[in-house]
Amino acid sequence: MTDAISEDDIDELIPANHISLSEPPAEKEACIEYLLDLLVKGDRVEDREKALEALLERESETTTGVGMGIGIPHAKTDAVSRPSLAFVRSEEGVDFGSMDGEPATLIFMILVPEAGGEEHLNILSSLSRALMHDDVRDRLHQAEDESTVQDALREAIA
Amino acid sequence: MTVERTVTIVPEAGLHARPASAFVQAVNDHDAEVSAGHPDGDLVQAASMIAVTSLGVGQGDDIKLVADGPDAEAVLDELERILTTPEEELDTDDG
Repeated sequence: MTDAISEDDIDELIPANHISLSEPPAEKEACIEYLLDLLVKGDRVEDREKALEALLERESETTTGVGMGIGIPHAKTDAVSRPSLAFVRSEEGVDFGSMDGEPATLIFMILVPEAGGEEHLNILSSLSRALMHDDVRDRLHQAEDESTVQDALREAIA
Repeated sequence: MTVERTVTIVPEAGLHARPASAFVQAVNDHDAEVSAGHPDGDLVQAASMIAVTSLGVGQGDDIKLVADGPDAEAVLDELERILTTPEEELDTDDG
């Protein structure tokens, strides 16, 4: 059972510097590091290696490529002290090994502190729910700058 | 034939990670249309990982499953097994 994410949460979760509209590396693990580095540069990650380890550990259980061209690598880790979200868009597509075989073109990363309880699931489910809508995915694909991405997420999730 | 069942989620991860992938795989391996959701909410396509993830179903939550097709009973049996088996005891054949 999930609570909605409020508008303020979007600004706190994903400020503009957590968003990249440049092409990420084509390989999944390198793409995960690319997203992680957005959060590192945004000063959200206290221990990059620990965060990466948690992300890859989760990925080794089963892919976070959820289909429909979406990848959501995520982890609960004390490498962060508050919930953080990052986004990158790929024109080429990154092979996330999803069940529907679609390469990921909209890729989000969620990092939440260990003590975050259900917050982790709330963000993951709210984001998934939003991304099931064609118009939300279209807006993210077409966004020309970071603030348009934030607007699309704010309206879709909040 | 349409059958439905409500199951309480046992795995610690809820309907996420390995249990979720086993769940979606099982739906795709059977000849039945399956939808899933909170008992008093809208149902989503159980064959889609993003749809299943969107439910935000955690350990101890109830999930309602509705199946229609020749394998309806069989797929619900398999889904119930996946949802009531602790993660460490779950054997999956998806590699």
